[in-house]
Amino acid sequence: MLWQATAEPPDVRPFEASAGDGPGRFVARVIFSRPRVTVPAMLLAIVWQVGESAVPVVMGVAIDRALATGDAGQLATWIGVLVALYVALTGAARLTNRLNARAIQLLQHRLRVTLSTGVLHPGDGLARAPDGGVVSVMTNDVARLANAGLLVVLPIARIAAIGFIGASLLVTHWPLGVVALLGAPVAVWSMGMLSGRLSRDTREYQDLLAGTVGRAADLVAGYRVIKGVRAEAEATRRYRQASRETLAGAERNAGLLGRFLMASGMVNGVFVAAVTGLAGWFTVKGQLSIGGLITTVGLIQALLPQMQAIASVSIPNLANSRASAARIRDALRGTGSTERATSTPEVSPVPVLDVSVPGASIRVKPGELVGVRADDRTAAHVADALLNPRAGNIIEVRLDERPAHELTSPQYRTLVTVAPHRVTLFSGTVRDNLAPSASTPELLEAAVKAAACEDFAADLDGPVGEGGNRLSGGQRQRVALARALSTGAPLLVLHDPTTAVDPVTEQRIAERLRGVRANRSTLLLTSSPALLGCCDRVVDLPAAS
Amino acid sequence: MTGTHAAADDALPVANGRKTAGEVWRLSRGHRLRLAVVAILGIVSTTVDLIPPVAIGFFIDRVRTGTAGLGTVLTVTAAMALSAALGAAGTAVTIVLATRAYHAILAALREELVARALTLPQHTVERAGTGDLISRSSDDVTAVADAAPAVIPVVTVTAFTIVVSLGGLAALEWPYAVALAVVLPVHVFAMRWYLRTGPRVYRAERAAMSARAQQIVESQRGHATVLGFGLGEQRHRTVMTASWAVAVQALRARTVQSMLNARLNLGECLSLTAVLVTGFVLIGHGASTVGGATTAMLLVLRLLGPVNQLMFVIDTLQSALASLNRMIGVTTIAVADTADEPPAPRDPAHAVRLEDVTFGYGTGPRVLEGITLDIPTGQRVAVVGASGAGKSTLASVIAGIHPPGTGTVARPASTVVITQEIHVFAGTLRDNLTLAAPDATDDQLRAALDTTGAAGLLDLLPDGLDAVIGVGGHPLTDAQAQQLALARLLLTDPDLAILDEATAEAGSTQSGLLDRAADAALAGRTGLVIAHRLTQAAACDRIVVMEHGRITESGTHSGLIAAGGVYAALWSAWEAGQGT
Repeated sequence: MLWQATAEPPDVRPFEASAGDGPGRFVARVIFSRPRVTVPAMLLAIVWQVGESAVPVVMGVAIDRALATGDAGQLATWIGVLVALYVALTGAARLTNRLNARAIQLLQHRLRVTLSTGVLHPGDGLARAPDGGVVSVMTNDVARLANAGLLVVLPIARIAAIGFIGASLLVTHWPLGVVALLGAPVAVWSMGMLSGRLSRDTREYQDLLAGTVGRAADLVAGYRVIKGVRAEAEATRRYRQASRETLAGAERNAGLLGRFLMASGMVNGVFVAAVTGLAGWFTVKGQLSIGGLITTVGLIQALLPQMQAIASVSIPNLANSRASAARIRDALRGTGSTERATSTPEVSPVPVLDVSVPGASIRVKPGELVGVRADDRTAAHVADALLNPRAGNIIEVRLDERPAHELTSPQYRTLVTVAPHRVTLFSGTVRDNLAPSASTPELLEAAVKAAACEDFAADLDGPVGEGGNRLSGGQRQRVALARALSTGAPLLVLHDPTTAVDPVTEQRIAERLRGVRANRSTLLLTSSPALLGCCDRVVDLPAAS
Repeated sequence: MTGTHAAADDALPVANGRKTAGEVWRLSRGHRLRLAVVAILGIVSTTVDLIPPVAIGFFIDRVRTGTAGLGTVLTVTAAMALSAALGAAGTAVTIVLATRAYHAILAALREELVARALTLPQHTVERAGTGDLISRSSDDVTAVADAAPAVIPVVTVTAFTIVVSLGGLAALEWPYAVALAVVLPVHVFAMRWYLRTGPRVYRAERAAMSARAQQIVESQRGHATVLGFGLGEQRHRTVMTASWAVAVQALRARTVQSMLNARLNLGECLSLTAVLVTGFVLIGHGASTVGGATTAMLLVLRLLGPVNQLMFVIDTLQSALASLNRMIGVTTIAVADTADEPPAPRDPAHAVRLEDVTFGYGTGPRVLEGITLDIPTGQRVAVVGASGAGKSTLASVIAGIHPPGTGTVARPASTVVITQEIHVFAGTLRDNLTLAAPDATDDQLRAALDTTGAAGLLDLLPDGLDAVIGVGGHPLTDAQAQQLALARLLLTDPDLAILDEATAEAGSTQSGLLDRAADAALAGRTGLVIAHRLTQAAACDRIVVMEHGRITESGTHSGLIAAGGVYAALWSAWEAGQGT
């Protein structure tokens, strides 16, 4: 269970998003939500990191005790120690990595469950519609925050390793240890100073690159438009210009990288040389053995990378995860159940629908097909009110004389299905788009026919492409119409369902609409004469003020 | 129909390693001197880096023989510090030069790629799908650019470090090098295992990640649909399944990494043991010194870091190469068939002439059958027909997007097509308009917007012509985007305009607005309009009705009504609805 992930998503409960939590507390709560994994991982990571630092020490002692003396017993002992050390550190590293990976993935999944139920798919639809930012929150921010799990494990292990190196140096020769431990932070700090400018510039360069790449994607996405007006040369010229600016950015960034590498390499090299020289002097004076000298050289080379990792990886990681935690919390703000209805009012299987708009009202009696002719804005308001009757609207929706907001969300949704004007197809096949909401396979077939999908009805198992981009605008709209008709909803609201459909096909749809909606109520918001022509009644709404 | 499925043999080509190498070599022209300097400097600076371990070994032997004093300490320290400084400088310059050459070559390649992508014959792209082309000009470019910090130090410094350290070891203490060579197969096996296993696992992880992002995006964009159809529960399950699929793949990937680590650790442990045993035997026979063993140990330790690094970037290296192959696959497509363009008509009084044209996609059924059409210059013709009747195909054959199967097509060289595809380019409103007419003045731009009824857009947008629109900018409605396209048409001022715009998302009121805009844009030129609204057709000089790839009716609005055919039936149904 610990090693292999089950194929099915685990059943995890969402995080509570309490309003009082600061981002720091949220990070802490996320990190410590799985102590049974984090604590063992941390202990193992200490074994791993200290073990890595101990390799040069063991080698130094082995050279001193076995090679310098020619004692075969010592050689066997120290090779044994070396092998044991590697076995321990390899095993610890492996366990740490797996525990960490599993903890991180479980955390990420749990955060996504939280965001999915709270923001992306809120149960009662009262919450505001999720904006595009939720995508980045659910991918990048979740990953960064979950990485906070690593923050506990690795930096603590690194600090332990630094402690080990420091202690070893102090034991070997205490003045040398003091010099090394005081000098190393100065060396790391000066490298950090040098890297600040570089990382700012790197972000700038990455933005430039992203801009150029985005421009290429944008131009190629508008390929047909460019071809249509023969703007190939102009588009190419513009791209080249953006590309050259990015190249200049890359060259400047390479220069800064070079300066950083040169300076940090020098600081590192001079520090190692100075400590080695000092150790050499103590060796000459007889205060330090040759084994001690070799050990010192090994340790000092292991010290700087550990400190650098904390400065350049762990600290920025912590800052990132705090920022991500803040964004996740903002996204979750105001979510949670807002269900108000306590009792479920009695309504008939196909209730009478009343929509009161300022200055007019629409009534759809059971089994009626009512056309509503309105300007675009009024039509959009009516569709919104029907989609979300609890959102508090000047347009009132009633079912069997009862205000729609008194019904529970699931109850309202089983009675009223609203097909929005803006078509969204989900990736998969045409059938994948129809089946989940279709009431019966027979109705699905009937709906495909009623939506005049003859040109692709034979290939319902063909993929629709990303956002339906393998279909033409008219085809997309007809798949969406078929999806709406196949629900067999007692009350169906259609909003301008045929604006991209040619007049011949639109006329066919108008002829077939009544049949597929027989005995069910339909409200049709449109100004297409072909569609209005097939309605039982047509209501004209006054223009919105 | 527009929904053509891309078959595998229609896919864009991918270059093989040899072709890619050849192209990179060609693109490196102008940077070859720089690259030669990189090679020489790389070897020199890694050689300088050998000095500290040798100095320490030398020092230890002096201490052991009792010949070390303050002078020795100072000399050794100075040698170490100096060589470290020189090595760092040399390495830095090597990396800077290599990075600059890398980015310059990449820039040249991406520019060629976009230029070629935009000049490819349209039917090649239509067959392959634009998605692949977008991904090659964006994702692949990013992959190659992002690989630079991982790849460049590896192919310059790391590779040189390994070679020079091994070389140094062989020159200074050759038996240790022999001992290492015995252990080498462990690394070779680890690398071969990783190359077999790693890339596949990482690909699966990345694929799962993009599937997950896709599902989240769809739920977000389709919020209204999810709500209206009560699909929340189902979408939540879909997104969560996609989320967990990433976790499964990520755990697999981390397992592979941790297994690689274990194999590398085994290699390290064996290498260090080999140094100890060799040192012990050699010193016992007087063939080496403790200092020599220390030098060997330090050299081996310095070797292990780069070897591990090499292993970990091999995957990045591989995926960058795969991206490079995909990019070069596009830039090396031979474009010989620019002669696809239909010729201009011989008689200037007849703008468009189609004679007995047939057409079918690939080996599929015929979509157009015996089409003969003559559009006198200045006339506006509407095409009416059901989905799948061949309207859009007829438009693309006239436009020259698809060459006719049989028969001949003639049309003016200056032809503009506005398709169903609505795209607003990221940039300013001005950029979007001048794309088609780079030299147009602001007054001309304003006049074009005014004519298409989009002048209101200038007041709506805070910065007028300088307002940023498209991705990341001010969002435009589809109707506004279509008005922009029509304004662009006006600025191009072609002899023939083909309109196949559907404006699916435009509401009813906006449709009327767009009808008037299209009317203004077509004034004074020959026009072919694929009618998506009957009013559009009624306003044209002539109407052509298509059924099953054939023209079945042709005449003026009143003529066709009088004839009492398909068009007349449509019109009367429409009128009946109008009256309700």
